Amino acid sequence: MQNLGLLAPEIALSLLGLGLMLADILAPAKSSKLLYHFAWVAAAVALALIARGLSVSGGLPLPVSGGLWVVDPMSQFFKLAVLLSVIMTVMLCLEYGQLPPAQAGTFCALLIFSTVGMMLLVSATDMLLVFVALELISISSFVLTGFERRNRKSNEGAIKYFLFGAFSSAIMVYGISLYYGATGTTRLVDPQSAGLWLPALQTKSPVFTLAMLFILLGFGFKAAMAPMHFWVPDAYEGAPLPVAAFLSVAPKIATIGVLARVYMVLVPAASLGFTTLLALLAMLTMTVGNTVALFQDNVKRLLAYSSIAQAGYILIGIVAGTALGIQGVLLYSLVYVAMNLGAFAVVQAVGDNGSRDGLGSYELAAFDGLAQRSLSLALFMTAFLLSLAGLPPLAGFIGKFYLFAAALSAGRSASGGISPAVFYGLAVVGVLNSVVSVYYYMKIAYHMFFLPANSGKGERLPSKDGGPLPAALHAGPYLYGCLAVALAGVLYFGIYPDPLIANVQLSVPHLP
Amino acid sequence: MNILSIITFLPLVGALVILALPKEKERSVQIVALLCSGLSLILSGALFFFFNRQTADMQFVERMPWIPSINVQYFLGVDGLSYPLILLTTLMTFVSLIASLNIKNRIKEYFFWFLILEVGMLGVFASLDLVLFYVFWEITLVPMYFLIGIWGGPKKEYAAIKFFLYTLTGSVFMLLGILAVYFKSSPHTFDLLILLQSHPTWERSFQILIFLAFYLGFAVKVPAFPFHTWLPLAHVEAPTAVSVVLAAVLLKMGVYGIMRVSYGMLPLGFQWFLPYLVIIAVINIIYGALCAMAQTDMKKMVAYSSINHMGYCLLGIAGLTVTGFSGAVLEMVNHGLITGALFLLVGVIYDRTHTRDIGAFGGLAAKVPVYAGLMSLACFASLGLPGLAGFWGELLCFIGAFPRWKLYTGVSVIGLLVTTAFFLRMLEKVFLGPLNEKWKDLADVDARELCALLPLVALTIYLGIYPKPALDLINATVGHMAGLFK
Repeated sequence: MQNLGLLAPEIALSLLGLGLMLADILAPAKSSKLLYHFAWVAAAVALALIARGLSVSGGLPLPVSGGLWVVDPMSQFFKLAVLLSVIMTVMLCLEYGQLPPAQAGTFCALLIFSTVGMMLLVSATDMLLVFVALELISISSFVLTGFERRNRKSNEGAIKYFLFGAFSSAIMVYGISLYYGATGTTRLVDPQSAGLWLPALQTKSPVFTLAMLFILLGFGFKAAMAPMHFWVPDAYEGAPLPVAAFLSVAPKIATIGVLARVYMVLVPAASLGFTTLLALLAMLTMTVGNTVALFQDNVKRLLAYSSIAQAGYILIGIVAGTALGIQGVLLYSLVYVAMNLGAFAVVQAVGDNGSRDGLGSYELAAFDGLAQRSLSLALFMTAFLLSLAGLPPLAGFIGKFYLFAAALSAGRSASGGISPAVFYGLAVVGVLNSVVSVYYYMKIAYHMFFLPANSGKGERLPSKDGGPLPAALHAGPYLYGCLAVALAGVLYFGIYPDPLIANVQLSVPHLP
Repeated sequence: MNILSIITFLPLVGALVILALPKEKERSVQIVALLCSGLSLILSGALFFFFNRQTADMQFVERMPWIPSINVQYFLGVDGLSYPLILLTTLMTFVSLIASLNIKNRIKEYFFWFLILEVGMLGVFASLDLVLFYVFWEITLVPMYFLIGIWGGPKKEYAAIKFFLYTLTGSVFMLLGILAVYFKSSPHTFDLLILLQSHPTWERSFQILIFLAFYLGFAVKVPAFPFHTWLPLAHVEAPTAVSVVLAAVLLKMGVYGIMRVSYGMLPLGFQWFLPYLVIIAVINIIYGALCAMAQTDMKKMVAYSSINHMGYCLLGIAGLTVTGFSGAVLEMVNHGLITGALFLLVGVIYDRTHTRDIGAFGGLAAKVPVYAGLMSLACFASLGLPGLAGFWGELLCFIGAFPRWKLYTGVSVIGLLVTTAFFLRMLEKVFLGPLNEKWKDLADVDARELCALLPLVALTIYLGIYPKPALDLINATVGHMAGLFK
C-alpha cells in the first residue's frame, strides 16, 4: 500500500462520521448543536489537510492503491469544492428549525459519509470504486432527503429519489459489467503509467461503446441531466432545505468531476463518438431546466430546475473537451457552489420560520416585499440570482464566459468528422438559455422588490404603517456567515478571478 | 493619475456608502448621491481643459492586466468619440439626481441603483477592452430593471422585464461576437485598439457574421427598427429621471458601439451592411416621427421622437464622411441634452396634474409662463430650429449622408417635417387657446426643477449659437475614423 497518507482526509472523515453516530446515542438532545459544530470543524480540518497536501505534492498526480485511486490537482479541486459546500450546509443546518434534534448525530454522520463518497468519487480511477462511491453518496442522500419524517413531501421526495436512484445504479452496474467484458478489467488507468488509460484499442468495439453509454446514463442521473432529471424537483422540494441546498450542489459537482475525468481525460468523448450526443444532452438539459423553471411557483422547485439548467452549462465544457473546457468546468463548479448555496441560504432565511411547526413556506409569495423587510437579504439574493444568470461582474459570468469560450474554440479546431456547427450551436443555445433564465431569476427579484410585503396569511399590508407586520425573518449569525462566504466568493471571483484561474490551470497539464 | 477610473468609480463609492447608511437618513442619502455624481461631473468637466483636440489617439489611458490568463485587461481611455459622451453621462446623471429629489419612497434603494447605473454607463464609454466593455454594458441592465420596476408607472413590471430581456438577448450575441474575434486574432486579445488594426486578415464572411452578432447587441440599444418596441414602453413607465438617463445616455451606447466597434473593427461587415443600415436609418426617422405624431401621451411622443433622432445618427454614420460622423456624435450629445430637458418638462407637468394627455390641457402659457417658455425652447431645439443645438447635429448628419445616399437623405427630410408638425401641434394644444379651467391653480416650475433644467437649456442655446467647442472635441477623432474607410 503506497501513499496511504494521501487518503488521510477521507479516513479521518469516515472515522468521524462513525463517531458522530455513536455520539448520537450518548449525547443528550439538548447539546445537539454541538454535533453540528463538530461536523463542520471536521470538514474544515479535512479541507485544510487537502489544501496542505496540494501544496506538498506540487500538483503532480499521485496514484494510490495501485491505480484504484488518484490524487491530482483536479481531484483535489473538486474535493475542496465539496468540502466547502458541506461546511456551508452544516452552517445552514445550525439555523434550520425543522430537523429533529435527537437525531442530529445521525444527520451529520450521513452528511459526512456522503461527503466521503464524493471525495472518493472524484479521485476514483476504477469503475468499482466509482460505483461504491456513488452508492455511498446516494444511500446517504436518500435518508437525508426523508429526514423530516412528519413532512409527507419529505417522505415522497425520498421515495422518488430512491426509486430513480436504484434504477440508475442498476444501469450503471450493467454498464460496468459490459466494461469489464470489453476490457477485462475495471480499471480506468494503467497501474504502471498512472494517469493514462491503458489500451486505446477497445474503444472501437461496440460493447465498449455500449458500456460507456450506460455508464454515462448512470452519471446523468446523479448529475440530473435531462431527460434523467425527473427525481430532482420532488426530491428538492421535499428535502429539508439545507439538504436540498447540499444535494443541488455537492453530488452534482462531484458527478461532474468524475464525468470530466472519465469523458474528457481517460476515455475522451470524441474518441467514443459521443460528442454530438453529449452536446444534445447539454442543450436538452439547459433548455428543459430553464423552460420548466419559468412556470414554478415554489422557490425550491424553481431552484431545482435552475440547478438542472446549470448542469447543462457545465456540460458545455465537457463537450468541448479541450483544456479551456476543463478550466471552464472546474471554474464553474466552484462558483456554482457559492452562488447556489447562497441562494438556498436566502430561501431558508425567508421560508423557514425557525420552529418545528412545519409552517415554513417556500412559495414565491413568501418573498413578497423582502426588500422592505430586509434589504440586505434581498440584495444578497439578487447578487446570487444574477450570478446564476451569468451577469457580470459576478462570478457566474466568468464561469459562463469560460464555458462559451471553450465551445467556440472547440468549434474552431473541430476535427475528426465532428461538425463545428455542434459547438457553435451549443454556444448559441447556451447564451439564449441564459436569457431565458433571467426571466425566472428576475421573477424572484420581482417578488422581492416590486411587491408589497405579505402579512403572512396572504393578505397584503394595507399601508406602510398600519396592519400587522410580516413575521420576523429567522436568520442568525451562521446563516449570515454562510451568506457572507458565498457573496465574497461570488464578488471576488467575479471581479478578480485570476487566483482561481491559476489554480484551475494546474489541472490542465496532466491531460493527454 | 487614474482620472478616468476615479470618474467612473466615484459613483460606486457613493453607492456603497449609501448602502451602509440606515434607510431613515434620507437626506444624507441624497447628499451622498449628489456629492459623488457631482464630483464625477466636476472631474470629467475638468478634463475638458486637458483634452488634446489635435489627436485621434486615446488619452488619459490606463492599462493594467485584469485576467492575464486570457489576456483581459483593465484598459480605459477616451478620444473625441467617447469623451463628449462621458461628459454627457456625468452631466445628465447629476441633473437626473437633482430631478429625483422628489422621489418619496424607498429613497435609499433608488439612489443606490442610480449610482450603479452611472458606473455602468461611464464604464461603457471609457473602456477599451472588449470584455471590460461587455461587463460595463451589462452592469447598466440591472439597475435600470429595478429603477423602472420599482418606481415606474402602472405597467412597470412588464416594461422592466421587457427592457431587460430585450437588451440581454442582443448583448449575449455580442458576447459570442467578442469571443469569436478573440479566437480569430493572434495572439488572442480583447484589446480593442489591437483588434481595430487586425481586421485586414479576417475574411469577409467572418466579418459579416460577427458584424451581425455585434449589431444585434447595439441595435437593440439604439434602438434601431425593428428592435425598438421596448423603448416606448420603458420610457413611458419609467420615472422621469430614469427616462432622462435612458434617452440621454443609454441609447447612445448603441450608436457609440456601432461607431467604435462595428465600424472600425469589422469594415467589410460594415460595408456589406451599409445599404441596410441606411434603410433602417430612414425607417427610424420617418416611422419614429409618424408614431410620435400619432401619440396623445406627451411622454410617449417624446419617446418616439427619440427613435426618430437616433435615425439621424444612423444616417450620419451611413454617410461615412467626416461631416456625417461629426453630425452623429454631435446629434448624440444634443439629443441627450434636449430630450433630457423634454422628459424633465413632461415630468414637471405630470407631477402636478397626473396626466400626460396632450388633449387634457390648453392655454397653459398664460398660467405657467416659465414652463411654457422652457417647453417651447426644448421643442424647437428638438425639431431642429436653427440657433438651437439640435439644428447642427441634424444638419451635419444630412450633409454628411447626402453625397453617398442622395435619395435616402431626401426622403428623410420628410421626417423633419413630421417632427416639426407634432411638436408644434403639442405646443399649440397644451399652451395656446383658452385656459382649461381645471388647471387654473397650476403652479409654475419650482427651484428644484429649474436647477435641473437650466443647465440643459443653457447648453442647448450655447451649443446652438456656438457649436465650435463641441465640434473641436470631436473633429480629430472623426477625421481619423472617416479616413479608415476606403
